[in-house]
Amino acid sequence: METRAGYRVATALEVAARIATLERATLFAGGTDLLPRWSKGVLQRPEVLVDLKRIPELKGVSRNDAEVSIGPCTPLSDLAVDPIIRQTAPVLAEAAGRVACAQVRNRATLGGNLCNASPAADTAVPLILLDATLELTAIGPGGPSVRDVAITDFFTGPGATVLAPGEILTHIRFEPQPPGTFAAWDKFGTRPSMEIAVASVGVALRLEGGTVTWVRVGYGSVAPTPLRGRAAEAVLTGSPLSMEVIERAAAAARAEIAPITDVRASEAYRRDVVGVMLGRMLKHAGHA
Amino acid sequence: MLATLETAKLDLSMNVNGQAVRLWVSPFTTLLEVLREQLELTGTKYACGEGECGACSVLLDGRVVNSCLVLAAECAGCEVVTIEGLTTNGKLHPLQQAFVDHGAVQCGFCTPGMIMAAYALLAANPNPTEADVKRGLEGNLCRCTGYRKIIDAVLSMARGGRSDD
Repeated sequence: METRAGYRVATALEVAARIATLERATLFAGGTDLLPRWSKGVLQRPEVLVDLKRIPELKGVSRNDAEVSIGPCTPLSDLAVDPIIRQTAPVLAEAAGRVACAQVRNRATLGGNLCNASPAADTAVPLILLDATLELTAIGPGGPSVRDVAITDFFTGPGATVLAPGEILTHIRFEPQPPGTFAAWDKFGTRPSMEIAVASVGVALRLEGGTVTWVRVGYGSVAPTPLRGRAAEAVLTGSPLSMEVIERAAAAARAEIAPITDVRASEAYRRDVVGVMLGRMLKHAGHA
Repeated sequence: MLATLETAKLDLSMNVNGQAVRLWVSPFTTLLEVLREQLELTGTKYACGEGECGACSVLLDGRVVNSCLVLAAECAGCEVVTIEGLTTNGKLHPLQQAFVDHGAVQCGFCTPGMIMAAYALLAANPNPTEADVKRGLEGNLCRCTGYRKIIDAVLSMARGGRSDD
């Protein structure tokens, strides 16, 4: 580790975790969310900052027989073109590639996108579709301790997660979905780039003989956290993708979200657009 | 007592436009501030200061970034290329010349950032389509709205078959 006044560059996870815990350091990765908030005064500049980007084990994508593992400091631009991600989780690659712009994607990381816990975090919904698990590491008096949290349990509100002070997101893991799984994700806004989504929707499903046997639905920007669409899933599970079922699933989606009215869209508009987006994806799945 | 981040000074070494530089920076100083105010490389522009406009685009280890969103302290040991670094012995880089030839400059404030983003795009994809160019410049705003000629200038680099260097 290199000590540079309060700016610490950690090159080992344990060191970073100790600084985070003992000195209450702010964890720092891409900086694309933190820097504007500091300069605008929305967030106070911390006394101690620990830069995680140079810890090798927190970067990159790997896979074994069972699962794919992503280091949280992997830049979104790398994730968008990573061959393992494009093969096993194309919707995650798509979402990563549509965050902001090239300049931001070259700095912003998957872990930062998740830990900042924006309800509009583009990468969260694809990870909900993948039933992703987040590995959180803390250093206590007895040494390192690790716990796994499901992506759906990670977010607790706008800007809030289950991360304890000093705890670090160390891996994002998922099992590749079986061949034949349909998956789609899209975000809606007034322009294709530099856009915080008005709403984002994702769906993954498997059909057997025209009947939905497994399904995940997720929404972004329409609740205090990225949200799994359990009501829409309940409508779809065990049903054919008929127009009637699709309309009922879209109605369930509109009902189970909790959007707000803000500068980007009204609550009513968000409910409507989520129903339309999910309906279109399901029609596409039925014809895929 | 440990100096706070606001008042401390860090010893920073990096490479800017092929030159090794070593200087003292405050921990919250951005790369943009160091480039403009300490190294007097004022080709890189400050505009929005929050990563929305791309006027401060530079290459950091070969990748285009908004230098207003990078702490100088993060750049220890890194290679930075600014618009000044594209010019060799007073001779414009072919991409810069293409902007001149196509009249792709109005007020000029966005131009250095546009060129750095276009440079990164062409390095990754030497033969881009118009859609590729628009996407490659998605993070760069031109408030004179001179996009058409900017896109034409970048496309000419592909069509003209000029090499990137």
